[in-house]
Amino acid sequence: MAFLLPTLVLLGGFLFYPLVYGIALSAHDSQGFEPTQFVGLDNYVRAILGDAVFHRSLLNTIVFTAAAVVLQTGIGLFLAILVVGVRRGRTFYLVAFFAPFVLASVAVGAVWKYLYAPFFGIAATVGTALGFDTSTVAPLADGDTALWAVMAAFLWRFAGFSMVVYVAAIQALPRDYYDLATLEGASWSQRLRHITWPLLWPQTFTLVLLSTIGTLRIFDMVWIMTAGGPAHATETVATHVYTTAFRFLDVGYAQAMAMILLLVILLLTVVEYRILNRRAEMVSS
Amino acid sequence: MTGLRRLRWSTVLLVALALVWLYPVVWTLTNAVRPTADIYRAPWDLAWPPATENIGAAWDRGQLGAALANSATVTALTVAIVLVLSIAGAYALTKLRPPGRAVLFMLVLAPLIIPTEVLIVPLFSMFRALGLINSLPGLALVNAVANVSFATLILTGYFRTIPRDLIDAARVDGAGRLDVLLRIVIPLARPGVLAVSVLVAVLTWNDFAGALVLLQDPDTFTVQLALTRFSTFYATDQGLTFAGMAIVILPPLLLFLVLQRSFIRGLTAGVVGR
Repeated sequence: MAFLLPTLVLLGGFLFYPLVYGIALSAHDSQGFEPTQFVGLDNYVRAILGDAVFHRSLLNTIVFTAAAVVLQTGIGLFLAILVVGVRRGRTFYLVAFFAPFVLASVAVGAVWKYLYAPFFGIAATVGTALGFDTSTVAPLADGDTALWAVMAAFLWRFAGFSMVVYVAAIQALPRDYYDLATLEGASWSQRLRHITWPLLWPQTFTLVLLSTIGTLRIFDMVWIMTAGGPAHATETVATHVYTTAFRFLDVGYAQAMAMILLLVILLLTVVEYRILNRRAEMVSS
Repeated sequence: MTGLRRLRWSTVLLVALALVWLYPVVWTLTNAVRPTADIYRAPWDLAWPPATENIGAAWDRGQLGAALANSATVTALTVAIVLVLSIAGAYALTKLRPPGRAVLFMLVLAPLIIPTEVLIVPLFSMFRALGLINSLPGLALVNAVANVSFATLILTGYFRTIPRDLIDAARVDGAGRLDVLLRIVIPLARPGVLAVSVLVAVLTWNDFAGALVLLQDPDTFTVQLALTRFSTFYATDQGLTFAGMAIVILPPLLLFLVLQRSFIRGLTAGVVGR
């Protein structure tokens, strides 16, 4: 117990105290970074009823998260199955797909900005080589495509994480199931559907939870690539909170939006946990 | 037998995907050692031989030497804090019994669902009141909060694999709890400690949001903030940007390449269960 004390002191000072202070701040008007007048839930009402940018940012965040969780998990599983299937050079593939995870978001964002750049970006170069007119192609500058362009960079960076988790899990699966299934004539897709996928449910469960929490907070890659633009097409709650607090110094209001984001995170975590855990328990029993 | 091995479509697909995945990384590193004019002329070439002029220019104009020192300071402090706290915490958690353990586990895991991003405003206010804006140790504390949970989680997994008899025997022989931790538990869990150190180091080195909010004075900028200096040169000199990025991504990339086995094992340990 005494050995846990340092961690609890750190969290008390730099997590729970700021959390309580943040709740208080979100119920106040503010002047600069100082809270002034208590306004109750006014900031929350303003965000929920009166701020179109906040609505857009919340929608973007949830859409981005939903798509990213499904795609990151799906691509991760797909890559894992391919990697486990090869006999030689498995380490090379693990490293290749996982390497983007250790790169800084600032660098990933900047590199992908170049990939998408008009005229000399890879999308434009390949398109021109194939004979298309690509002079107007600029995925990050187009409100319809910008969010998905950020998503591609995001998936490139994080799919390898899901992959290594699945690879480790698949390697730990009992071989007899597969031998028996093969003996009884089960096809590759049947084995995947009836053995691999159900047995990997505990990992899927954890990955979905982790990526949901990790994606709802998304700030840095969006900030680097688009700063929320064009015209809020890629605005997430976290970028909107940052801009509101540090550009417009509307601090109490910014914190109210941050608290709403925290509530969304908590709510989705609990809901996902309930739904997924039921199935995970079925697998382990 | 014939020497012609059957090439399966899945292997071909895997190789193609791996090359696509690696391309942006390799391209970033090679563009760092190309003259800027070349990058404009043929942006997608992987050119050779290297020209190092942009490396020096990026180093000077981005003040990367100072930024690297700042990042190294924050990273070393964060790793030290997280290691001490998570080793002690994990040791306590593996020894505790329910229901107390469940409650304390929840407390320790709280940072996983309360991300720094929702607390940047109160953290900024608090740090300003404490005079910790522009303080590298201050930033290390925030990074420690963000990392201590999963570090403790991973180490708890490693500590659980240590036989109880071993610890009990040492206790009977009169070893104190700290002795047991230092002489038995830590040496036996060395792979876990290494994995956690590398993981925390990489994540701290790459931290952007915390540094963006808490470091205002350019002299205290970490490498991630220093990189944003080049974005003002975006239109004029891509070569500098690539050179700067290469310098900043190389330390974690090399660390990962050298220690990839324990890195990945540490990461999956907490998720897969061992």
